[in-house]
Amino acid sequence: MATATSPDIPQLARLSGLPGKLPRRDAAARAHLEEVGRHTRPVSLAHERALELGPSLAALVPRGTLPRGSVVRVAGAPGAGVTTLGLELAAACTRAGEWVAVVDPAGSFGALAASEAGVALERFAVVRRVPPARWASVVAALIDGVSLVLADLPPAGAGGVGGVGVADARRLVARARERETVLVVGERWPADAALTLHARGSEWDVAPDATGEVHHLTERRLHVHAEARSGAREGWLARAG
Amino acid sequence: MIEEPARTAALRCPDWPVTAARRREPALVGVPVAVVDRGQRGLRVVAASAEARAEGVTRGLRRREAEARCAGLVVLDVDEAGDARAFEEVARAVEQHVPRLVLHEPGALSFATRGPSRYFGGDDALAQLVVEAVAGLGITDATIGIAAGVFAAGLAASRSLVVERGETVEFLATWPVSVLAGPVEASYGDGAALVDLLARLGLRTLGDYAALPESAVAARFGPPGLLAHRLARGEPGHEPLAREVPPELVETMELDPPATRVDEVAFAAKALADRLLGRLDAMGCCCTRVVVEAETEHGERLTRCWRHEGALTPSTLVARVRWQLEAWLVASDSGVAAPGATAADAADAADAEMVTGGLTVLRLAPDDVIPATGRQLGFWGGDPAAADRAGRALARVQALLGSDAVATALPVGGRTPLERVRWVPWGDARDSPSEAAPDGRSEAAPWPGAVPGPAPARVFDPPVPAALLDARGAPVVVSGRGEVSAPPVALDCAALPGGGGPLVAWAGPWAHDLRWWSQRRRRVLWQVVVDARADGRGQVACLVAVERGRAAVEALYD
Repeated sequence: MATATSPDIPQLARLSGLPGKLPRRDAAARAHLEEVGRHTRPVSLAHERALELGPSLAALVPRGTLPRGSVVRVAGAPGAGVTTLGLELAAACTRAGEWVAVVDPAGSFGALAASEAGVALERFAVVRRVPPARWASVVAALIDGVSLVLADLPPAGAGGVGGVGVADARRLVARARERETVLVVGERWPADAALTLHARGSEWDVAPDATGEVHHLTERRLHVHAEARSGAREGWLARAG
Repeated sequence: MIEEPARTAALRCPDWPVTAARRREPALVGVPVAVVDRGQRGLRVVAASAEARAEGVTRGLRRREAEARCAGLVVLDVDEAGDARAFEEVARAVEQHVPRLVLHEPGALSFATRGPSRYFGGDDALAQLVVEAVAGLGITDATIGIAAGVFAAGLAASRSLVVERGETVEFLATWPVSVLAGPVEASYGDGAALVDLLARLGLRTLGDYAALPESAVAARFGPPGLLAHRLARGEPGHEPLAREVPPELVETMELDPPATRVDEVAFAAKALADRLLGRLDAMGCCCTRVVVEAETEHGERLTRCWRHEGALTPSTLVARVRWQLEAWLVASDSGVAAPGATAADAADAADAEMVTGGLTVLRLAPDDVIPATGRQLGFWGGDPAAADRAGRALARVQALLGSDAVATALPVGGRTPLERVRWVPWGDARDSPSEAAPDGRSEAAPWPGAVPGPAPARVFDPPVPAALLDARGAPVVVSGRGEVSAPPVALDCAALPGGGGPLVAWAGPWAHDLRWWSQRRRRVLWQVVVDARADGRGQVACLVAVERGRAAVEALYD
């Protein structure tokens, strides 16, 4: 399966911002500019307001787009590819020129992986050190401002179920729908979700690099199972290292 | 020890829209007048004459309420261009004595007092002179205040005080915190909410607020609170730019044929303003003052410096340029005489008219350039309104959790995934990677010894303890000479599903020695792929670090 190519936005911005350096005018730059223009064109009709996904995920989701204001649950064991799927959604959002916020109570988010997935880091804010008691109010504040929130649920606390309560979850779902923000949550989300993506596991390749000497992790094939109200689909997401 | 900002004088003409209207129509003198503007909630009073205030008409009243309180009230619509035009005369009168002024808005201007004060023999003498110069135009209610810094000078002007050198902080301490609402609103928005919060916390005066430690203010209130804190302490609101700004940031436009009407120039001036702000934004800066210069076809040069409370956005910049163009182009053919002026005064005023022809060149130069913090204007691939909304939401979360809880990532050079990201707190300036190059940590060049391959999605800090075992079940160790005991065969770790399992494949080891000069601490990194197929979960890849006899999972390729 073809990998999703991400437009090299930081590279182009750097080229056009430096004084004394002429911008590239060749066909590749023009094609790239047209692609960016296509992604940032505002959508006019209300019922067509949806987030366009990259080619690899678009095949798994009905109509190839994610309706704004919906809740996406990404489930899977640690290491199966849950964070990668979240990053693919975030990359689709920043490609359209919009903002993404991540709530990371465990403080383990790898930002370099985000940049490799195609996320524009200047529109990607990460909130760390969130006490579990404040988690819901932080997510609510972020829903008001950005277009996509990747919310890692707080880890199970002492003497409690952990995660977030049902009432809070339902309030956040309603708020996301009202503000037309996509909310991406984890497996233990107590309320309902419009789309559930199961990361069923990956297969990794260890291969020599271009020089042929050093072996390292190269390609990964992620098995994804997508469940929506209209039905379920399976597919593979391939990412090259 | 931070130096006191330069001593500044601020001249305020209260209710300037009313004064300007009276200069245009002498019949309004002595009559209660109110000027209304369409705000968010209907027609509201923005300025009222002394007679109207005596009857209870204040700013912010609805038009009908004002008319009910004061019988015979004359209500006028706001005319910003006319106010700017009328204020140009005041600016010219003050300019006779003071070389460089900065206009804030029609009705307020300020200037540095170091040179003029010395020339005229003291701050009090200077203040007296300027007030008399303005009174000579027929404006008797202008007040002037002198203190260190523009913010303090504005407050001093409302009480018509000259604050002695070194006493500015004491002077500021007695003011209520409501005066901070204006500057905070202009820079970050939501100034009234911050003031409300301070009042509810029991901080009622600037002195109370200034007494708080800066770190506590930054954690609790975020960047808007920090700005207010600096102003309350008498320090300049924005930190100066630590970087050289190229002097050629001036945008010029030639007008051919010479423009004599504002609308001919206004559209082109908008393009100039957009270009200037775009170039500043590409450098990560914004300006709070702009110098508008023009040349006429007869070779006269006109300059005016305008200031805005927060950073200049395209709309505020264009508004000021438009006001200035109105003032220059239209005033020249409407010789308005001040009420009560003699014939000799009128002749003097005619001589002082500088604009005798059309404008041929228009120039905008930024002044007082500061790093653009927080309010990024979304230059590339962003909608400015969306950036604004996101910025406000992130600032609110910062106020909840502390200013370093919200950060954006900046890729820098390094060997491990943890080192290769620098977290920049929201509101701080993000230096572009090309500017990080001078100190050697450029991301573009390959970093020797870096772990190759894709970047892991989860990076554990501190690393999770694990056990990397070889074929005999003993832990894999690294000797003092950097030799590995045996190839790894299985990994046990709490962070992995099922607690770990046998390895399908591995790559490495890569040496990552730390502080080789002080202590022989040998550290190697392995990329391992654990087979968890027995659990039905496919393969899990992670980055394991082995140091002497201990292993830990540093990152998970989730």
